[in-house]
Amino acid sequence: MDEGVAILGVGVTPLRPISPELSQRELIFEAATKAYIDAGTEPAEIHSFISISEDFHEGTSITDEYTPDQLGAILRPVHTIAGDGLQGLAAACMLIQSGIADLVAVEGHCKTSNILNHEEVFAMALDPIYERPVGVPSHAIAALEMRRYLHETGLPEEAVAGVVVKNRRNALRNPLASYGASLTVEEVQASPLLASPLRVLHTSPYADGAVVLIVASAARARRKGRKPVWIKGIGWATETPWLAERSWGRATYTVVSAQMAYRMAGISRPRKEIHFAEVDDTYAYKELQHLQALELLTPQEATELTRGGDFEGPLPVNASGGSLGMGYCFDATALYRVAEATWQIRGEAGSHQVPGARTGVVCSWRGVPTTTGGVVVLQAD
Amino acid sequence: MGIREKPTRMDQVQSWRADFPVEYLYTTGVAGERFAKTLRERGMLAATRCQRCGVTYLPPRIYCQRCFADLSESWVEVPLQGVIHTYTVVPVRATGEPSQSLEVIAYIRIDGTEGGILGRVAVSPEAVYIGMAVEGVLAPPAERRGAVTDIRYFKPILS
Repeated sequence: MDEGVAILGVGVTPLRPISPELSQRELIFEAATKAYIDAGTEPAEIHSFISISEDFHEGTSITDEYTPDQLGAILRPVHTIAGDGLQGLAAACMLIQSGIADLVAVEGHCKTSNILNHEEVFAMALDPIYERPVGVPSHAIAALEMRRYLHETGLPEEAVAGVVVKNRRNALRNPLASYGASLTVEEVQASPLLASPLRVLHTSPYADGAVVLIVASAARARRKGRKPVWIKGIGWATETPWLAERSWGRATYTVVSAQMAYRMAGISRPRKEIHFAEVDDTYAYKELQHLQALELLTPQEATELTRGGDFEGPLPVNASGGSLGMGYCFDATALYRVAEATWQIRGEAGSHQVPGARTGVVCSWRGVPTTTGGVVVLQAD
Repeated sequence: MGIREKPTRMDQVQSWRADFPVEYLYTTGVAGERFAKTLRERGMLAATRCQRCGVTYLPPRIYCQRCFADLSESWVEVPLQGVIHTYTVVPVRATGEPSQSLEVIAYIRIDGTEGGILGRVAVSPEAVYIGMAVEGVLAPPAERRGAVTDIRYFKPILS
């Protein structure tokens, strides 16, 4: 991007299986307070606010109305993106590049523990005429994708289990992660089948949390004493809502998003120019599928990677633990990935720091039954 | 109790139980009505065809998602026959409750179209494979309601 847009501040609450001590609005308040301190700013200085939320996950219709006060956004420009976290980040880039704002707060949150009927929420996302009446559990849609992906790539199910082992082990080093564990491929493959070939441990467990990112124009980001991480390119795409039209085995939305983001970032050889990746792994096979779509690793290379050291080799993937290790939080997931990538580039990732992490990529997906995702390229100052 | 002083026991926190009781009457639309009527009356699948792109849409749409042409006058009918593109075996119902038996759910590419249908297949989990040819079994004409559920299930085509 010509003028430059940077991430100036990050605030998150640790991802937790349940969060009975705070309401979702109070979680947002906690994340926002941290983000404003991290960016060296305060709500009065923020020109525009973006909230990521989806009514069915909130349990409140017209959720937009419930977003301003806990962000300090009363009587200020605020709007909601009912979409992926990276679509919210893209909206912040647009506000800044169009000159409307110099400083934007992007908020995403998830109180999944409030939802008592996940399957019913999922069912409402399917086409009501042709798909919903068939009565298919949500994980079955992912299982259909996973089966086709394995069929087209020739990978064994153990390759998928390897992703789980790696990400949950990485999460042991991340204090924000809820699901760090030392597992073996055999243990993963012995976990119960949700919908064959998809097993319980191939699936990222839910978690509650909130993230706030402070995004700044180049002029604002270059003020003394700050550590900007530059958004070099961003892209997003939706393939089709129809189960009948999707590619099933491939993440075509990622291919398109990556082309858009790489072009903007001036990246022509992603394998050489990108040092680490935070990639959607809502279901473990998705990490392998997304890495291929990002032109970073072939399925075979990605499989090989999970067998080696976590932070060595050509490309550390999900050093944070990913959603499998940190916990899955719907549309806020992408913003947790961006937060992790920002700390990596700042050199603030602690014991899961990737050495020499100057340029990183984040890849997101909105989960079943969607074919929506985004890609963002982040770079050091 | 709040940000400064956090509860450390579950009996110190409160929640409020509520539900989201909403119902809808979804308009099926031009394409949906034609699909339902064709299935009920003739036991065939109504699809739309874009001549320019050479693509046949199933479920039918009155527009081409590739070239944006109006397809509301461009219909074809195809039989309930196709090939398993991908499948899963599920031990649970859509509600998440355990099912009595394992069910094979497949996405079936319907012959003569670029689309397909999600459905159950009456085949043992050991016998199913990608590429298996299947055909739909419809409810008897008197019991059809003009809905996708008129397709009771799919079964292997025995060669």
